[in-house]
Amino acid sequence: MALPVQERWDLVDIIARKTVAAGAYRQNLGDVLGDLTVRPLTGIPVAFAVLYAFWSIFSSFAGALVTDGFMVKVFDSHWLPWLQGAWSDPASIHYFLFVGDPLAENCFEAFGMLTSGLFVAIGVVLPAIIIFYLMMTVLEDSGYLPRLAVLMDTVFHRIGLHGYAIVPVILGLGCNTPAVTATRVLETRKQRFIMMTLLAIFIPCGAQLGVMLEVIPDAVGWVMLFLLIGFGIFGFILDRIIPGSNPEILIDVPPYHWPLWENVTKKLMNRTKSFLKDAVPFVLFGVLVVNVLYLAGIIGALADLFEPLFVTWFGVPKETVGPLVAAFLRKDLAVAQLSAIAMTPYQMITAVVLVSIYFPCVATFVVMLREGWKELAAAVAVLVATVFIYGGLIHAVGILMGVA
Amino acid sequence: MKRLSELEYGESGVVREIRASQHELNCLGIRMKKQVKMITRQPIKGPVVVVVDDMEVAMGLDTAEGVVIETGEHEGS
Amino acid sequence: MADTSRTVLMMGNPNVGKSALFNRLTGGDAVVSNYPGTTVDYTKGVLIENGQEYEVIDAPGTYSLEARDAAEDVAVRLISENPGATVLVVLDATRVERGLYLALEVIERGCPVIIALNMIDAARERQITVDTRVLQRILGVPVVPTSAVSGEGARDLAGMLRKAQKVDIETVRARADGQFDTPEQSGGCTGCGGC
Repeated sequence: MALPVQERWDLVDIIARKTVAAGAYRQNLGDVLGDLTVRPLTGIPVAFAVLYAFWSIFSSFAGALVTDGFMVKVFDSHWLPWLQGAWSDPASIHYFLFVGDPLAENCFEAFGMLTSGLFVAIGVVLPAIIIFYLMMTVLEDSGYLPRLAVLMDTVFHRIGLHGYAIVPVILGLGCNTPAVTATRVLETRKQRFIMMTLLAIFIPCGAQLGVMLEVIPDAVGWVMLFLLIGFGIFGFILDRIIPGSNPEILIDVPPYHWPLWENVTKKLMNRTKSFLKDAVPFVLFGVLVVNVLYLAGIIGALADLFEPLFVTWFGVPKETVGPLVAAFLRKDLAVAQLSAIAMTPYQMITAVVLVSIYFPCVATFVVMLREGWKELAAAVAVLVATVFIYGGLIHAVGILMGVA
Repeated sequence: MKRLSELEYGESGVVREIRASQHELNCLGIRMKKQVKMITRQPIKGPVVVVVDDMEVAMGLDTAEGVVIETGEHEGS
Repeated sequence: MADTSRTVLMMGNPNVGKSALFNRLTGGDAVVSNYPGTTVDYTKGVLIENGQEYEVIDAPGTYSLEARDAAEDVAVRLISENPGATVLVVLDATRVERGLYLALEVIERGCPVIIALNMIDAARERQITVDTRVLQRILGVPVVPTSAVSGEGARDLAGMLRKAQKVDIETVRARADGQFDTPEQSGGCTGCGGC
């Protein structure tokens, strides 16, 4: 038996009146900070500061400190030369698959499963995602995200979403797969479709960011700028053409809490474990697959086939076809592969943007399929059009600026 | 009587009418006779944040326009 | 359909600490964060209490049984797909009212219900007191104060799971309207099993 809604609320009131007593409420420091971080005058500068701090800690710790300061030395000066010497028969297929180029001087160029594969997974991506997740956890656990959502709401409203879309976006910067599921916090199918599509196309994951910081440290800013602009433009277009409604934000803004050390470490452990378990085999396997495809001549054939598109339309060398194949397995791997191809800086920026906006990695693909095959099919259609249009546009911008 | 969206910073009043999204607002604590206080209005038609029962709730401007508030001395429960 | 009598379905508003409490009860790894909508899919775990094995399901938070988004939809589907399951309604002690709405809805569906009054420590800090005994008497279901953060009350809650009650909403209404202005009634057992 069910009560009418209003009678149920009346009953709630009666029960609450008889059981709950609230003493005088005293504002605490958290409440004061809560207000300051959500008011535009103080909140917007704070938001910029928080995001800037996030980025600078991420890039300096992961890229400079751990990878350059430690991992590069271990892998390039010890692991690579040792493996090149110890593995027999540099002319063999197994040498090519597992060690790669016998003359390579660093682990990016070698491109064997045990050289580049291990280096990308453990040397570059692992430190990057650990520091990323550590900071993301602090954002999640403190209660800052709903406030950031309020501040971002106006912007997101222009692209068919509302401020709470910041949750899947931030999660997506760590890894796109949980972010796709997190689109469930949005109310309508239209919103979820727009969010999922934009995630798959324009949001690079933490692993990819980590490799980008390592191989193109000077160009990362440009890549991010192009992705951000694309996010805005295509969100705006999708909002116009996708039928459906875009309800407004309506959320609880919880009080601030100190993140609990126990919870932070637990989440960090679990996320790192699942990276080691799910992602690392994929990186290694990805290198193997790409090498086999090279040996079989398939990548060479694809490169020749797509040469007109790549060279004339996107303005990048035809060799970038190889990394794009790898990008379907792992985007971090694809960016690492790009670094070994000779290109002008602008071509590199274009190629990295292409790797980002081109097909989501296979893990994201599977999660999207779980959310609905119709959505996935439509997202892929949007994606193909976007890659084509935006890739050409970036090339055109380059020509106009005289750098392409 | 004012719309919730028209409250000034720090101003409070009592909910007298909810014209749209009634169930959703009720679930977040915005109900008839409740006292609400404005915390912030975001610029360029952005959302508003109000306090009800010592808890903050953020809602879009259109939603806030549908909530009628009685301000002044004679405040309810 | 599988036997769901030993299934415990955790329902409650978003961000009241369901996942944290779930981890306490089952030793599970559900993701816990401080924003509404952290849990968008369900997580299952096992709790063994007094030799009795329970399957515990942590549902996404929902404000009512009318789903507003896809995450709430998961929660509402779980309650339909697990008839006969004990529903552990998790309330935030600092905002009992909102949670009560959902609790009443669940009671009206005829599910056996037990209530965890979570974040009891935060309520104390905010000088909010909830009369657990009166709440228990009116609702006729066990009410256990808990703090998932500190672990307070988690063991008691596990022990009380088997005392979850089905109640008729009309009797709840009668008790709420009725004699509770005089709180102490000798022998007024409502059968909640909490004594």
